[in-house]
Amino acid sequence: MPKRSYMGEMELMVLLAVVRLGDDAYGVPISDELLHLAGREVALGSIYAALDRLERKGLVTSLLGEPTPERGGRAKRYFRVTPAGVRALKMTRKALTSLWSGIPLLEGRRL
Amino acid sequence: MNSGESNPPRSALWLLRHACPGSHNQALTGDLVEKFRQGRSIGWFWKQVLIAMAVGVLGDARRNWPHISYAIAGTVIPAFLWKTVEGVPAFLHWWDLRWPLSQMAFEWSRGALLALAALPVLAVGLMISREFRWVSLFRTAVINLALITLGHFLLGYLDTFPSLTVPVPGNPDLRRIVILPPPVIKLLFISSFLVSAWLGCTSPRRTTPTAGPVDNA
Repeated sequence: MPKRSYMGEMELMVLLAVVRLGDDAYGVPISDELLHLAGREVALGSIYAALDRLERKGLVTSLLGEPTPERGGRAKRYFRVTPAGVRALKMTRKALTSLWSGIPLLEGRRL
Repeated sequence: MNSGESNPPRSALWLLRHACPGSHNQALTGDLVEKFRQGRSIGWFWKQVLIAMAVGVLGDARRNWPHISYAIAGTVIPAFLWKTVEGVPAFLHWWDLRWPLSQMAFEWSRGALLALAALPVLAVGLMISREFRWVSLFRTAVINLALITLGHFLLGYLDTFPSLTVPVPGNPDLRRIVILPPPVIKLLFISSFLVSAWLGCTSPRRTTPTAGPVDNA
């Protein structure tokens, strides 16, 4: 059985943003996605730190794009989720759903 | 706010390149420049650079915690063990030994023992993080002893210049070097442990070449 990778909240949100963005997942759109969908303005340095951890865990891979003038001649680094990343997301969703279910307070019922 | 083609502060870019740990610095810099040219302010850019530096340093510290524990232990242990090792040169009968063994026993034995006393902390840290190798431990010890010896003789050399020393309050027989107050000595000490652990535990890795971006911002 492969060793399970545990993710923190930031890693989980960044990984979900990478999955949602597909082929266009690099720093700027990931930060916009987190702002628009999660309502969190996250510093790009923190996003790259999370991506670095995800890459070390083998949950994402990265690829350097072409340098562009609007970025001062610097290339974009595109991130893509790996099969291990997809597995980790599914396991996390399953665990969180199990933990959430059956709590009256979170289901709008009175305690 | 800034116009679309303006450049971010050069000093901030320099900091990003040279003082920001991380494996994706070029991409991060490119992203920050892209956002800056979309209309973000210079203050925003500086804030992002400072956050990137802080996050990078914290990430490095988290990854290298055995080295940091070793450096802290190496700096703290002398305060507790100094009384114990103070008599070691006499125990070795340094005056009966031939030179250079006599000088080594007199000047070096205490520092060496204190440096070696912190090694178990590094060993345990490396075991917990599953990076333990005897060769790393051995290399760290050798480099640390070399640095401590170098520091010892450098201090001894500076001590020969009366203009650089002042008497220690309460003990007229002792003098301390003016340019090296105790906090600086502690900082040098902790740095020597960090450098030793970093050099001793780093194994050469194969790197894959990647196409580097052109830097013209």
